[in-house]
Amino acid sequence: MIERALHSIYDSYTGRRLLAAVFVVVGVVIAAFILLHVVPGDPARAVLGEHASAAAVLGLDKQWGLNQSIPDQFGHYIHDLVTGHLGSSYFYHENVISLIGQRFAPTAWLVLFASVLAVLIAVPLAAVAASRHDRFADHAIRAGGVVGLGMPAFWIGIVLIQIFAVHLHVLPVGGWGNGVWQHFEGLIMPALTAALAIVPILVRSLRVGMLEVLESDFVASARARGLSERRVLLVHVARNAVIPTITLLGLNIAFLVGSTVIVEYVFALNGVGSLLVDSITNRDYPVVQGLVLFIATAVVLINLATDLISARLDPRIRLR
Amino acid sequence: MDFEKYELTRRQLIGHGAKGSVLLAAGSLLAAPGASAATRKFARAAAATPKKGGTLIFARSTAPTQIDPANSIIAGDIYTLDKIFEPLYITSAAGKLTPWLATGYTTNKAQTVWTFNLRPGVKFNDGTPLTAADVVWSIDRERKNTDGPLSFLDYAIKSIKADGTDKVVFTLSTPWAPFLSDISVFANAILPANFGGKTAAAFWANPVGTGPWTLASWKPDSNITLKANPHYWQPGKPYLDSITINYVSNQNQQILQLTGGQAQIIDNVPPSNVASLKKNSNVDLTLFPSWQTDILVFNESVAQFKDVHVRRAIAHAIDTETLVEATSFGTAKPGRGLFPPSLEYADQDAPALSYSVSAAKAELKKSKYPNGFSTKLLISGGVEKWSEFATIIQAALKPLNIDVAITTLDHAAFETTFQKYDFDMFIDYAINDISDIDEMASFNLDYKNGGSKSYWSSYNNPTVSKLVEQAEGEFNTTKRAAIYKQIQAIIAEDVPFVALDYPPYIYATSTKVHGFAVNPGGAYRLEDVWLA
Repeated sequence: MIERALHSIYDSYTGRRLLAAVFVVVGVVIAAFILLHVVPGDPARAVLGEHASAAAVLGLDKQWGLNQSIPDQFGHYIHDLVTGHLGSSYFYHENVISLIGQRFAPTAWLVLFASVLAVLIAVPLAAVAASRHDRFADHAIRAGGVVGLGMPAFWIGIVLIQIFAVHLHVLPVGGWGNGVWQHFEGLIMPALTAALAIVPILVRSLRVGMLEVLESDFVASARARGLSERRVLLVHVARNAVIPTITLLGLNIAFLVGSTVIVEYVFALNGVGSLLVDSITNRDYPVVQGLVLFIATAVVLINLATDLISARLDPRIRLR
Repeated sequence: MDFEKYELTRRQLIGHGAKGSVLLAAGSLLAAPGASAATRKFARAAAATPKKGGTLIFARSTAPTQIDPANSIIAGDIYTLDKIFEPLYITSAAGKLTPWLATGYTTNKAQTVWTFNLRPGVKFNDGTPLTAADVVWSIDRERKNTDGPLSFLDYAIKSIKADGTDKVVFTLSTPWAPFLSDISVFANAILPANFGGKTAAAFWANPVGTGPWTLASWKPDSNITLKANPHYWQPGKPYLDSITINYVSNQNQQILQLTGGQAQIIDNVPPSNVASLKKNSNVDLTLFPSWQTDILVFNESVAQFKDVHVRRAIAHAIDTETLVEATSFGTAKPGRGLFPPSLEYADQDAPALSYSVSAAKAELKKSKYPNGFSTKLLISGGVEKWSEFATIIQAALKPLNIDVAITTLDHAAFETTFQKYDFDMFIDYAINDISDIDEMASFNLDYKNGGSKSYWSSYNNPTVSKLVEQAEGEFNTTKRAAIYKQIQAIIAEDVPFVALDYPPYIYATSTKVHGFAVNPGGAYRLEDVWLA
């Protein structure tokens, strides 16, 4: 019965993808636990300070279960995970889920905002480059992409801050601010920075995809029917470019989630990325483990959603 | 790119003062020509009258995680809670012990019974008056908290009792000269007895203290807003209505927020940005002396470093003047002895082994390793200053044929490693939490009682341990100074550490900010700050 159910899951595209997603998350969680506990570092000493006696440090280690063997700690961790407990931060004395919840908003909005900006910038540029193949505009966009790829996100961020915050005073230098308007203002430059980091890759891939479509028979036939170039591009080419766009965007959103660490640092956004850096440095094990689980799940879900949407749009993918 | 450790202990925070990164280069773009900031500042101060009102925005490199004085050692916690809670004495910006919630004290002849007189008219921010019972409860809570990071400072207290409502009597187990200084530490701040009848959770959600500020709002790891305490005991203060402390871990972002007008004070300014900020006509840059010495620590349980001639040779080989010039951009002072000049009893004329390569070679010849050896130098990663120090030391020891391999670990791993004595040499810093030199003397030099085997160096000189103990019981300042002079003379010969430099706290403020000062322990109170 179970075997049959597993077979039916495996036989379906969605089932295969879901199974793979679960394995990836479990693998990442185990790897994070092992890596975190193998490297030296004592959270109790960090909390108690250098003057703390060995007895006080041991007392705190016992309270946190850090005096147990690594396999025992791992067993407790998995048990807690299965029962839905991620524990409490050693430093913030706060439940890990609530801590991540407080930091979630800046990161989520940053990723979303950056994704929208990336599409708004990349799709028109790719369309222009493809439609002006091997002409000045195409070369200029491609050259711009190479330059863009060579500029690290933090440098782009600093340049934007210098121009728009320090000299023009139209945007805040950094921070999440208070209230919806300040949040929005505070996100413009970080989102643009994050978006610009992936735009060159998006443009390059989309341009190639569009060129392939432009050279296909149905486009030639559309042109032969006397349709304007604009109509060919917008109706025929753009529609067919949607699938690679979604796939690429999905992959790059996963990349964006990772790159928020740097962008949040540059713009003092204090979201999930900065909490992760903070917690690794402090060996705040419950927070790091909770964040790894959270980020891995988010990345896997984004990839899964990308796969499923692509499969829905293109039946050929489901049959692979 | 390097990332600042967010939850820094106080000692880590000040060690990060010299941290630089590629991001910081952008700060120099902000330089603007102008008159000397110091000149402008003093000219303004002379003519200025404090102005009431306004909100100060402080972009600070550390955020609070909790604000219980008895359980804090993290910089973000300390420099937040000390705005809300106050002790009986404080250390002023000039480094002097100053009566605060107490107006003074008397002692018995044996110096074992200390009676403090409480300042009349002090109220908590909920309007209830401060009483002796609150002091007894708060300090008892701190000293009996075995997990308290600084409860060791209350070691000498045998008992505390209230004498009426305005006097508190401390009985000490032994005459203890650093006692007044110990009492001034933030951990001994006064709370209402029994949390004013609230549960601990309810109290910490709405903390009640006698300090100039009350907690208005707190978004963990983002920002905290403090409002003026309407019941504050200093008439007319604080001048400001409120303070918002934004947590900004990126030093470049801090500088940009200051120069872009988004913040009015920033801490932890990298020395490499000092020159450009000094030229900015909208910015005042101030170096405040600290109770800190950056040190090279030898592991004397390793054969080579057990040999005093090797340690002396290394001390002779390091040119601290050049080291400071190359790393601190003129902000730090070259190291001579363990105790920083800002600490009382630090002997400015103490002997020190001067830089001389020939003397270093001669000293090494007297050792068991005249032809040199290979060794390792452990440093904490993410702080540019430490890697610069390590590289300079590595080069300085080459003429002695001492081949140094530098090992860099992230800070948590670095601490765990040296605290397991798994090192040959490491670079770190000695600091004081209180104004009394005893903390550093005991923790860094007293192998027997200091608690860290002489800062993990295993330096064990029974004469020094005895002198440290003797100084702890000596109340005559002249005699006490003589004891510390003797200690400094001995360690100048023994060289358990090489003092590399004395770094300051570097703060930058908007020129609109007045009355801002930092004491050598790194604390700033802000009730005297006002905005023009």
